[in-house]
Amino acid sequence: MAGIQERGAAADLRLGRARARPRRAVALYPYLSILPTLLVVALISVYPLLFALDLSVHRNILTEPLAHPFVGLRNFAETFGSYYFVRALLTTLRFTAMIIVGTLAYGIAVSLFLNRPGRLAGASRIAILIPWAIPTVMAAIIWRWIFNGNYGALNALLVSIGVLPEYISWLGNPLLAQLSLVLTHIWKWGPLAAIMCLATLQVIPRDLYEAAYIDGGGGWAVFRFVTLPFLRPTILLLLILETIAGFVTFDLIYVLTGGGPADATTMLAWFAYAEIFRFLNLGKGAAIAFVIGALTLGLALIYVRLLRTEELYS
Amino acid sequence: MKGRLLIWLAVLVLTVSLFPVLPAAHAAPQVTLNFMVWTFAVDTIQENIKRFQQRYPNINVRLTDYNWGQFPDTIVANFVGGSNAPDVLYSSDHWLQQWAAAGWIAPLDDYFPQVKEMAKSFSQYAVEGMSYKGKIYGLPYYADPMAFFYNEAIVKKAGFSLPPSTWEELLQQAKVIKEKGLVKYPIGFGFSQQEPFSIEVFISMVYSRGGNLFDKDMNPVFDRSGSATIKAIEWVRDALRAGVLDPETLQWDGVQAGNAMRAGNQVYSISRASALWSFNNPQQSKEAGNFKIALMPGSTHQTVGFVRFYAMSSQVPKRGKDALDAAWNFLNYFGGPGPDNSYPVVRRWALDFGLGFAQMPLFRDTDILLSFGKWVDVPLLQRIGQRYSKVKQGLTPWFAQWDVFTRAELQKAYLGQQSPEQTAKNMAAKWNELKRK
Repeated sequence: MAGIQERGAAADLRLGRARARPRRAVALYPYLSILPTLLVVALISVYPLLFALDLSVHRNILTEPLAHPFVGLRNFAETFGSYYFVRALLTTLRFTAMIIVGTLAYGIAVSLFLNRPGRLAGASRIAILIPWAIPTVMAAIIWRWIFNGNYGALNALLVSIGVLPEYISWLGNPLLAQLSLVLTHIWKWGPLAAIMCLATLQVIPRDLYEAAYIDGGGGWAVFRFVTLPFLRPTILLLLILETIAGFVTFDLIYVLTGGGPADATTMLAWFAYAEIFRFLNLGKGAAIAFVIGALTLGLALIYVRLLRTEELYS
Repeated sequence: MKGRLLIWLAVLVLTVSLFPVLPAAHAAPQVTLNFMVWTFAVDTIQENIKRFQQRYPNINVRLTDYNWGQFPDTIVANFVGGSNAPDVLYSSDHWLQQWAAAGWIAPLDDYFPQVKEMAKSFSQYAVEGMSYKGKIYGLPYYADPMAFFYNEAIVKKAGFSLPPSTWEELLQQAKVIKEKGLVKYPIGFGFSQQEPFSIEVFISMVYSRGGNLFDKDMNPVFDRSGSATIKAIEWVRDALRAGVLDPETLQWDGVQAGNAMRAGNQVYSISRASALWSFNNPQQSKEAGNFKIALMPGSTHQTVGFVRFYAMSSQVPKRGKDALDAAWNFLNYFGGPGPDNSYPVVRRWALDFGLGFAQMPLFRDTDILLSFGKWVDVPLLQRIGQRYSKVKQGLTPWFAQWDVFTRAELQKAYLGQQSPEQTAKNMAAKWNELKRK
């Protein structure tokens, strides 16, 4: 074996440059072949990022189109020092926690229900997806009507079954407006969670359940020791998706509450939007967008570490 | 015979071939104008555009409409993006100085000197609302005072012969109406954080108490102890706590507040004066005929007079003379007297929708006076417009930002999350921060 390698090396030496060129071309070939794709990616994602970074370190207020001095990290410092930013961050964290719990609970519960055999199982699986198929803006408009304090369907239902003594203002009350946003989000995105959990449930071997029942396991024990371990990767994936959703939720706020009442539903994405399009401060808006990106990325990395499936199954 | 036929044929061919050439030699070049509006009576706007295009066949107007609450944000996005910027657009005194300072809209008198002369025929507060640094940026779409409305039938049923003349009296009347079970929430406003009218309602409440927002150097005075602003905030909070102001108010826009009035679920409101047209329109209102306009409650009865107008974007002059000519024809037709001195569009808005106007010659138009007389007390409306209305104080390039900030701060005070004094301090701090920038 060593002799063959030596003979090859000697041949290379004899061939000199003539042999080296094709080798370099071969070595470059993979990079050249992905270059067009890299350029497209750079154009649509790297360039905007660099542009936003440039914006975030300059004072860029649209009503002063001729003056954009470099301000370093001042936009970031002002953002972190702002009471309104901290308030929006806390609201975002609260909303994110609620939608994670709500969406996962909804997804698991509905998938367990749909996993049971029955004549209507197929139709139910399709019906459950309808809210997910409705565009978010349309969903928000529908729910805006449902939450209407004077003639909304939710008030009518709750009063008619005796849960509420009289109509209440869902979107005019800070706490209820936050809960309304959470409810709408779960209605819209819960079905996706349910279908993802259902797909996982359907690959769990039946004999595991049978063995558990033979061993005397009850419903809760079977769920805890058979179903849940299989669902863990899906749950963690949903955790990442819902965390990102919580941090970037914008369209629901835009249609349902406009950040109100009294800024009660102003979350980070809305805060960045308002800074740019209402306060016309592009530099600060870009800085906030970077903060949102960093927070989301940080949380996603933590989850990805948790998502190592080999550790989960071990 | 054959030769004569050939000659006729040749003449015919020559005539036909020249026909498309001759008019083209004299026709003005085709120009397209992007026209952006907020959503209100879009069918009527389309019809106005159609009539305009019949008059000016070389101008093609492309209409886009956006929701009123999101209009300023969307227009800002369009201007910043650049690819979908308007040529002509609706604007408001709220946003004029911000848009002019950013260089998005152009001063009309720089390009159309005749505007200066035309502006003499507009109400003074409308001219003020369309001006920035001594230049005029628009021709009025409509102009109105903010007005106080009440449902006379319910007020009388509650045992009152006159509408309230002070804010305390209003609270008292509302409590009686509620106690008698006539209406659950007698008062309602469009105070949503998204509603640009909300600041005009609030400033009217301040003016009517004899208050001011700023001194002559544009320094806030509303944060002083016992100011009219603080009293106005306290009043709204008291009304909410007493259960006479609909809690939905905090997320209603003006249209939703108007719907509650039209449905007979509400007795008192503040809106643009022309809203009374729809309140008293039997096709739109269950309580048509019962609504009356009154002086704003308070010691001075003063109120805000505002103007919404047609503006021209800065990209039009860059497109050259043809685009400028087209824009002028458009602006003159829609916001001015038009080619026949008949105010074709302004007059139509007044007759068909009751919209107020700043074009003073129309105050003598008998058709308009007759039409207005069907739904409003015309002498009182004129008195409110001429004696009690004044432009919003603080119209500066940063007013729009301060307005957005203030809407949320006011809501916090109404809900009791912070004191009226703290709210006024926050509003003043924001104003000073924006002013320094």
